[in-house]
Amino acid sequence: MKRRQINLRHILMPFVVFVFALFVLMLAVYVYNSMPIFHREGLDIYLKNMWKAAEEPSKEHYGVLVAIWGSIYTSVIAILITLPLSLAYSVFVIDYAPKRVKEWLIILSDVMAGLPTIIYGIWGVFVLVPLLKKIVMQPLHNYLSFLPMCSYPPITGFSYLSAGVLLGIMVAPFASAIIREAYQMIPFTYREAIYSLGATRLEATKILLGYIKPAIYSGIILAFGRAIGETTAVSLVIGNTFNLSLALFAPGYTISSLIANQFGNAFIYEYMTSALFAAGLVLFAIGLVVNLAGIYLLRRWEANVRL
Amino acid sequence: MSGYNVRKLKEKLFLFLIGALTVLMFSPLFHIIYSVFNNGIHVILSRRITFITGRLSDGGIGPAIIGTFILVFLASLIGLPVAFLVGVYAYEYPESTLGKATKSLLQIMLEFPTILVGVFIMQMLVVPMGTYSALAGALSLAIIMMPYVAVYTHEAMRQIPFEYRDAAFSLGLTRVKAVFRVLVPMAKRGILTGVLIGIAKVAGETAPLLFTVGGSYQTYQIGITKPVGAIPLLIYTLIQSPAKEHHEMAWGASLILLLIFLGIFIPVRLSLREVKV
Repeated sequence: MKRRQINLRHILMPFVVFVFALFVLMLAVYVYNSMPIFHREGLDIYLKNMWKAAEEPSKEHYGVLVAIWGSIYTSVIAILITLPLSLAYSVFVIDYAPKRVKEWLIILSDVMAGLPTIIYGIWGVFVLVPLLKKIVMQPLHNYLSFLPMCSYPPITGFSYLSAGVLLGIMVAPFASAIIREAYQMIPFTYREAIYSLGATRLEATKILLGYIKPAIYSGIILAFGRAIGETTAVSLVIGNTFNLSLALFAPGYTISSLIANQFGNAFIYEYMTSALFAAGLVLFAIGLVVNLAGIYLLRRWEANVRL
Repeated sequence: MSGYNVRKLKEKLFLFLIGALTVLMFSPLFHIIYSVFNNGIHVILSRRITFITGRLSDGGIGPAIIGTFILVFLASLIGLPVAFLVGVYAYEYPESTLGKATKSLLQIMLEFPTILVGVFIMQMLVVPMGTYSALAGALSLAIIMMPYVAVYTHEAMRQIPFEYRDAAFSLGLTRVKAVFRVLVPMAKRGILTGVLIGIAKVAGETAPLLFTVGGSYQTYQIGITKPVGAIPLLIYTLIQSPAKEHHEMAWGASLILLLIFLGIFIPVRLSLREVKV
């Protein structure tokens, strides 16, 4: 009789432990493979912009600063674009859209979130980049070229700006989903109370958005995490050039596009693989910290919320 | 009175603005779907069935389509059982330390940069084996699919009212039987949704395949240790080619991929009310 008692925990635990082990192994692989370049370059791998591949290992030098900068720069641009879109969308869907429209708007945002990134990529290359070049970059460069951000002539259109805009479009549904859900949780009595004071819709919305501030922050953080890890679409429109610059119209690199572009033939060189693993390690760390922060904020808000 | 008018004016402006921004948020989606259909349809129509079955040199993407199906099938075979059981664990032991950690880990993996998974599998599998393979690609996709399915499983089981749990135990069932014979069958619709969403997600992934599957478009290779192609990876390669003809094929392949994605995603999405992405 005793032998037939199978403990559920004993069945499930190995799989859970396996997944944790896999994740730890992944981190270990990145740390281990970054070691050779740390020994060689020290912290310079993260503090310098250098990419000298050579047949002789003694002449090789790597610094991935440009990729780290590019990842952060493009993701910040993406957030600046995503934030107004997802706030407006959340308010519109919850407060003003009729029921049927509301359902469709939610479905559309789910489709946007799930759409294969390569499809954003092909559209970005052949539609968005030429469009941005024509209606945004060239006019701005012509009239505002004294600003450092607009000083670079938009030759190809593949640039930080293009990557940032494309990312902004791609991560909008992720930020929206979090903000929308939080906004929906505000009880109706709050709205009634605000309107009974004679507030206009604008004033009411401002107050209501104030209640869900932590959720908005976590939506932004999680969208940033998505943007920084995105590879395919970005590497097609960023231009892939070692160019450390504030100029929005200049081509650059991001960590993920650097790996996507260089990893395939990195094994030819002694240290390049290791340099790319070190770059990957930064992305790993950023991804981990950003996501943990976003999740922590959201959980704490959900636990403490007294709406 | 004039102060009131300014407030009214601001309100009108605000209403217009949020409507306009909402339209702006979705206009790329519509333009993407329009562009893909517009540019892809004539490539497919002019080559007819060759486009679906032919090799790259015949002007077709047959091996890539087969490759995507092989990869998704293998990834499901590897990833789904693990994902399902991890999801059940997160539901059954929500208050334990490991249970809480599991939920956080799933959230992190959901957001994790997929390129890092691809590079990891390359180092662990492709380098030792000395060859790109369908197996390596499928493993990458399985790791990416896992958190989606686990989170959906967890959510689906949480929807079951607590009374059913009590009822199952009151019949004298063991915890194993209560979970797998009573609760899981009740949540099967939600779990199936998660499985399909996970499949739709990985079918369109490119980054984890870059260094794992190798990309083979001239021959039909069957065998899990051989390189295969995949539709998203083929599109990625074709876009980067300078030839105009390749760009046209990329649009055609994008249309096929879009149809596969929408074909899975839309029915699944319409069959339930609210999905957590």
